[in-house]
Amino acid sequence: MSEKSAEKALRIIKNYDGPRVRIMEVCGTHTHENFRLGVRQLLPEAVDLISGPGCPVCVTPADYIDEAVWLAREKGVTVCTFGDLVRVPGSRMSLAEARAEGGKVRIVYSPDDACSYAKDHPEEEVVFLSVGFETTTPGACLSLVRASRDGVTNYSLLTANKTMPQAYRALKGSADAFLYPGHVNAITGTGVCRELVKEGISGVVAGFTANELVTAFALCLAMLQKGEPFFVNAYPRVVREEGSPEGMRLIDQWMEACDTEWRGLGVIPGSGLKLRKEAEAYDARIKYEIPRMEARTHTACRCGEVLQGRCRPSDCPLFGKGCTPLHPVGACMVSGEGACSAYYQYGM
Amino acid sequence: MQENKRKAVTLAHGGGGRQTNELIHEIFKKYFDNPDLTADDAAVLSMDEGRIAMSTDGFIVSPAEFPGGDIGKLSICGTVNDLACMGARPMYLTCAFVIEEGFPMEKLDRIAASMARTAEEAGVRIVAGDTKVAGRGQVDGVFITTTGIGRIPEGVETSGTKARPGDVVIVTGDVGRHGCTILLAREDFGIDADVTSDCAPLSGAVEAMLSATPDIHVIRDATRGGVGTVLYEIAEQSGVGVNIDAASLPVDQSVRGVCGLLGLEPLYLACEGRLVVIAPKDRADDLLQVLRQGKYTADAAVIGEITEDMPGRVTMTTEIGSKTLLPPPGGELLPRIC
Repeated sequence: MSEKSAEKALRIIKNYDGPRVRIMEVCGTHTHENFRLGVRQLLPEAVDLISGPGCPVCVTPADYIDEAVWLAREKGVTVCTFGDLVRVPGSRMSLAEARAEGGKVRIVYSPDDACSYAKDHPEEEVVFLSVGFETTTPGACLSLVRASRDGVTNYSLLTANKTMPQAYRALKGSADAFLYPGHVNAITGTGVCRELVKEGISGVVAGFTANELVTAFALCLAMLQKGEPFFVNAYPRVVREEGSPEGMRLIDQWMEACDTEWRGLGVIPGSGLKLRKEAEAYDARIKYEIPRMEARTHTACRCGEVLQGRCRPSDCPLFGKGCTPLHPVGACMVSGEGACSAYYQYGM
Repeated sequence: MQENKRKAVTLAHGGGGRQTNELIHEIFKKYFDNPDLTADDAAVLSMDEGRIAMSTDGFIVSPAEFPGGDIGKLSICGTVNDLACMGARPMYLTCAFVIEEGFPMEKLDRIAASMARTAEEAGVRIVAGDTKVAGRGQVDGVFITTTGIGRIPEGVETSGTKARPGDVVIVTGDVGRHGCTILLAREDFGIDADVTSDCAPLSGAVEAMLSATPDIHVIRDATRGGVGTVLYEIAEQSGVGVNIDAASLPVDQSVRGVCGLLGLEPLYLACEGRLVVIAPKDRADDLLQVLRQGKYTADAAVIGEITEDMPGRVTMTTEIGSKTLLPPPGGELLPRIC
């Protein structure tokens, strides 16, 4: 993107004189980059930028953590996870606390690492915490391809994978336009965004550099002023119309849609993914007969409302007092991509 | 060192007897030999009058050898650079080794040779040392502690409390390379990138700067926590704000790429051969001129300035011209990097 187009985009943003609008980010990296690059400060008064449910850690409900803690403590399972999840509070304890008590919790950087670990340690039972959106789900499925090819039987997934389309529909009233998560669209393609336009849901697929972000906002504001539902792909460098058919095929091969709970949003029908019946040998819930968890969360925590854009992190009574990145109460403060953590780190 | 090829350090090498003597002679004395290093219990040194800087640092980096350096080079650079940050010319070092039983003698030989080379380059003498051997599993490979003293020239007074509004902030090269190198050397990520550590002795660079102007307010080496952490420390100590210009921050393309993939901020990755220098604005050109002639400081750049507003905070002017807070340092980015 040329310097000129960035300047033009900045001018469009600065000169916006339309009605008050709400734009919702639904990607944790967007939340973080908009703070880091100072994009927020450039937006005019009339533009409300809301951080929606885009960070996989933040939307993962407490009972999922309870299940993982149960596996580590009651079943002696080696729980492999991305680092962000380790400090998320469950009802009684986080995985970090379970580890301090002697539970085996390993941080991995990809599901494949977890599968390799299982293969190298046949005496252990290994479970990978499979959270995330369409961007990370193919990786989890790929680890199952490998497990089945190599006959790794001590490896399974505890799934809490989510898909975005139903979430947009559930959040329709919360924002005038979405800043669609570029990396999710890189897998799913843009067909889903076109479908959403028909239902009156607008948005722009955005990239992650300063120029890509200001361009996306400029396009968004220009289209909002026209008053018609719209969709624009402002990240053509990476996002193609058809997305990644290989990635989508991989998901479809191993998983199917299910109802799932989003922290703060409740159960959204058809917004989750679970392993297909044929793959139940890799389903930790079935393999270890995990009992149903009834999660309890801190009553004052307003993460749920933050995720729906109904309040700002700083409106929460715990923000910066009882809840800080070092001692998080809610999930949005734990993950570096969470809205509360970003607000706290950047001193908003 | 043909005979060391198959040999390994044993507990007997730390027993104080014949084998200890052998180890000292075959490795340490061979490389560190100088008139001040004797077989007596302590080194006896003559010092001129004036002020002395003294510092100590422990090194536990894993892996012990990495692209661009090793624990030996690091242990000399670390203490030499700490002394240099006070404007001191490093003179004498001591070193203490804790070695794991079974550590390959050949590797220890390489580490000692690397220490000797680096000490020679920095113009310091190793005048005393100690060797202990710990049982297998009680340490990981080799840990080294170095202590050093250096003389501070007349009229030089650097301190983290001396940054003043209007001063410029200089870094002496691209940031974050050591941290990035160690990260990749551990192979946890499976990322293949061509990055080498910036580990280097900087006493020469400091001497060159001081000869250009003794009027330097702060010198800090940006080790653990990187440039970002150092700037926060200075902002706090001096009660000033720091504003840096994102566009002028030198970052190697590969380091930027790795940081992008892993969501890391290069400003918080460790350097082992980079200084943060704060000096009056009218000295900036002179300082940059001498730095750009230096072996390890050719990419030196002014990256920002000290401000009166936002005391205790570090802000950043981003590439699209808006001003944001650099998130304060926190948490453990990566253990055992130095």
